Amino acid sequence: MTQTIQILGQNFILHPSGTLYWKEQATVLISDVHLGKISHFRKFGAAVPQKAIYKNFDLLDATIGFFNPKVVCFLGDLFHSSLNREWELFEKWIGNSDFKYILVRGNHDIISPQRYERIGIQVVSELTSERFLLTHHPEERKGYFNFSGHIHPAIKLRGKGKQSLRLPCFFKTQDQLILPAFGKFTGTHTMKKKETDEVFAIADNSILKI
Amino acid sequence: MTNQQLYSLAEDWFKHQNWTPHSFQLKTWSAFLGGKHGLLNAPTGSGKTYALWFPIILNYIKNNPEYKTKHKKGLKAIWITPLRALSQEIRQSAERVIRDLDTQLTVGIRSGDTSAAERAKQKKSMPDLLITTPESLQLLLATKGYDAIFKNCYAIVVDEWHELLGTKRGVQTELGLSRLKGIAKELRIWGISATIGNLEQAREVLLGPGSPAHENSVLIRANLKKKVTVKSIIPKEMETFPWRGHLGLRLLDEVIPIINNSRTTLLFTNTRSQCEIWFQKILEKHPELAGEIAMHHGSINKETRQWVEQAIRNESLKAVVCTSSLDLGVDFAPVETVIQIGGPKGVARFMQRAGRSGHRPGEESVIYFLPTHAIELVEASALKQAAEKKAVEDRIPYLNSFDVLIQYLVTLAISDGFFPDQIYPEIKQTFCYQSITTDEWHWLLNFIVLGSQSLQSYDEYKKVEVDEHGKFKVTNRGVAMRHRFQIGTIVGDSNITVRYQKGGYIGTIEEHFISKLKRGDVFTFAGRNLEFIRIKEMQAQVRNSSKKSSKVPAWMGGRLTLSAQMSKLLREELYSAQLSDKEQSAEIRALKSIFTRQQSESIVPKPDEFLIETFQTSEGYHHIFYPFEGRFVHEAMGSLLSYRISLLAPITFSLAFNDYGFELLSDKEVDMQQVLDNDLFTTSYLLDDLQKSLNSTEMARRKFRDIAVISGMVFTGYPDKGIKMKHLQSNSQLLFDVFKDYEADNLLYQQAFRETFEHQLEEGRLRIALERIAGQKIVWRPCTAPTPFSFPLITDRLREKLSSEKLTDRIRRMTAILTKSK
Repeated sequence: MTQTIQILGQNFILHPSGTLYWKEQATVLISDVHLGKISHFRKFGAAVPQKAIYKNFDLLDATIGFFNPKVVCFLGDLFHSSLNREWELFEKWIGNSDFKYILVRGNHDIISPQRYERIGIQVVSELTSERFLLTHHPEERKGYFNFSGHIHPAIKLRGKGKQSLRLPCFFKTQDQLILPAFGKFTGTHTMKKKETDEVFAIADNSILKI
Repeated sequence: MTNQQLYSLAEDWFKHQNWTPHSFQLKTWSAFLGGKHGLLNAPTGSGKTYALWFPIILNYIKNNPEYKTKHKKGLKAIWITPLRALSQEIRQSAERVIRDLDTQLTVGIRSGDTSAAERAKQKKSMPDLLITTPESLQLLLATKGYDAIFKNCYAIVVDEWHELLGTKRGVQTELGLSRLKGIAKELRIWGISATIGNLEQAREVLLGPGSPAHENSVLIRANLKKKVTVKSIIPKEMETFPWRGHLGLRLLDEVIPIINNSRTTLLFTNTRSQCEIWFQKILEKHPELAGEIAMHHGSINKETRQWVEQAIRNESLKAVVCTSSLDLGVDFAPVETVIQIGGPKGVARFMQRAGRSGHRPGEESVIYFLPTHAIELVEASALKQAAEKKAVEDRIPYLNSFDVLIQYLVTLAISDGFFPDQIYPEIKQTFCYQSITTDEWHWLLNFIVLGSQSLQSYDEYKKVEVDEHGKFKVTNRGVAMRHRFQIGTIVGDSNITVRYQKGGYIGTIEEHFISKLKRGDVFTFAGRNLEFIRIKEMQAQVRNSSKKSSKVPAWMGGRLTLSAQMSKLLREELYSAQLSDKEQSAEIRALKSIFTRQQSESIVPKPDEFLIETFQTSEGYHHIFYPFEGRFVHEAMGSLLSYRISLLAPITFSLAFNDYGFELLSDKEVDMQQVLDNDLFTTSYLLDDLQKSLNSTEMARRKFRDIAVISGMVFTGYPDKGIKMKHLQSNSQLLFDVFKDYEADNLLYQQAFRETFEHQLEEGRLRIALERIAGQKIVWRPCTAPTPFSFPLITDRLREKLSSEKLTDRIRRMTAILTKSK
């Protein structure tokens, strides 16, 4: 159900939950969780089912449990909104685990870095390691391969008989890999695939190379 | 003053105009003054406004003998119209009577077009007679101290009730009325409706089944005999006339002499984009008509619309290309000719449009029917029959629309708050909520207070609160503000204002269209070629362009379906293809070449035959079925059949429907013999199978879109105000999925399925259709190429999907195609 790819001689495992595991560094990359979004909507009078909040944490547990990494790195938009009570759930959740946590700050992450640091999450604007660059917004920087999120990529497939499908995906270009959004209750953005791009779609709990 | 004296006031006024009151007007006056509620069945242009304005004003005179010198202030009557464009006309007719009878009454309009200053003025002092829309009435209920406004109101008239009945705006009106009944003790409720199949039910819905108002009510029919003649515009060269299409431009030249030969012509189109295109093309081909033709549709700004309406009255225009925006309304007396472009998809609507022409009593109404593709001529012929037999369809009212009820309850909570014990009996008396259970009622109350059914930790849901006295109230100003904006969006798509860069409002377009434009793209709108510059604060900025453009915004028009009666007429017309020339209508005769072609490649079905065609094209395998039962029945039957076939073996379908039949398209061939052998048209397990097929298609998902907006779960922003609350925007699709996974018992989620069942699939009609098919001989024709009958279907791009295959299997095949095409 997972798929392993090599980039610049390093091994990366794509997981159908939308996470990416960097084997050599024992690091899980997770992008666009958008915690707090459902609570934010509810606070403003839109009754999105509350149960979906807990699902995000269950999924995080499942994917982190699967890889058992040393480092968990969020590629931005970890928390969707200003502070609300979902933060308390998040604090509790963090309290239960003892990995190293890093947040590469995204445009939605408006909560003060001190708050993150207080619960042991290091907040950075970007991260470089060897020839890899980790950011929230996709970036092109000479000499680096970039991992990012932000876009919530999806791919549209067409088939005979006027069939079509849209699936969330990992979207890889020559020097970039954009992760799908991890969070429940987040939308997607359909990408156009060029000849040189590689697309790994998520369907039925497996990764399919398109 | 005695009633007799009052009547003579009115009769004198009529005499003064050289008119004689119709008997339906006299009947309405006396019923109203006798304290009755009622429904008046009268067509547009018959003097229906005077049938009700008179008794309303006479009643004031009766109770205020010094009416000429003294003015008793306060709201006395409300006139609800579904289209704000009509309010001016209604106001003028009221003002005329007020003036001529020397009363000092005032008339005001309150709608989406009313300025904030005017609204504030009204809030201080309401006009005596208020003309408004269902939405604006709800907004009044969202005003603090609304009961004082309505307390002395003694009449409410719901005009064009047939247009509201069978829509959620109708439900909104029912709820508004239920509240007004509770406040205004002297209130008389009257509806005005064009002819529809279920008039008695229309009265019941308006007044509340079994309510005191219903018991004390009358149904008055105008019974104005009017001859309607339908003339089809038959293409001269049928051989080259297209088999498909929806624009009808091929026959544009046939329309010009009709326009030239009459003083004023209305050309009714089915969509706003069609309206734009026709207007453009007429001017392109006949520039001499510039300045003499105009366009009218709901997205054009108010000033332009009003100018056009005035110009029709003054006879200063030769022709107006319009949409249903000109369907309703008061008298455009001078309209001489009406042309209907493409199937009107409804007999009532068609008759009403026909009624626009020849407005004088006794004068014949003539309507030209212009087919947009060949098979539509069959429809034209059936329409003729329908007009003759007055086979008018029903409008099916909604039941248990919880979304509208939620909106209404929050509305009451933001003004003065409400006590459930007071409101429950009121809504229980409406037609829509007559069968609501106390469990459902409590569910709804929980939903607006807790956002769920039980109090949960870490929850900050905020909407309605309950105070210490048990009153449900909104205290948060943000909630109240967002809700007020939401009230107006009951039927809305997300719209964007189109303006010139230098200012100047042009109209509104669906966001969907604008989002596809790039800077520099040219599109046609409001009869102008406009270059798109940018979107700024939810407004599209444009400038005029001299470039030609083929882009025309498409508006999602509600897809209507043929009624059971009309479908039957349609089948009968089709079967007449077998008869001799003499027994056929001109339209059917004109289709001879098409029928011959159809017969040579397949068959033209006889009354005892049910036709299935199969063929292969580059798109895949086409399986086409022709029940001739109208679009909605075909949607149901198509879903049912594809579901049953998909049980035989994993397969994926794309489904298309029209009023004649449906298509199941797949990349695999269906073994039709197996379909027939397995008796897949059976009515056994119908309900169960239909329900399961519904889960596998997108229909309920689409219904959910409106429900999510109306119930306030999806916030559309304030496009008109330039406020985009992006952090609160989500799409209903996402929400639908979340409900499916985590809260499938939510009443609003379930409502989406129920509505699909009751309003889209029409299970009852499906059953009857299947029983009819069971008595027919099934003729399966494997064909080598698309047949004339199949053409409109296979080219339809709006499609439904159904699959029983594994996602991964489908992707593998799709992937293959993607690589091949490189």
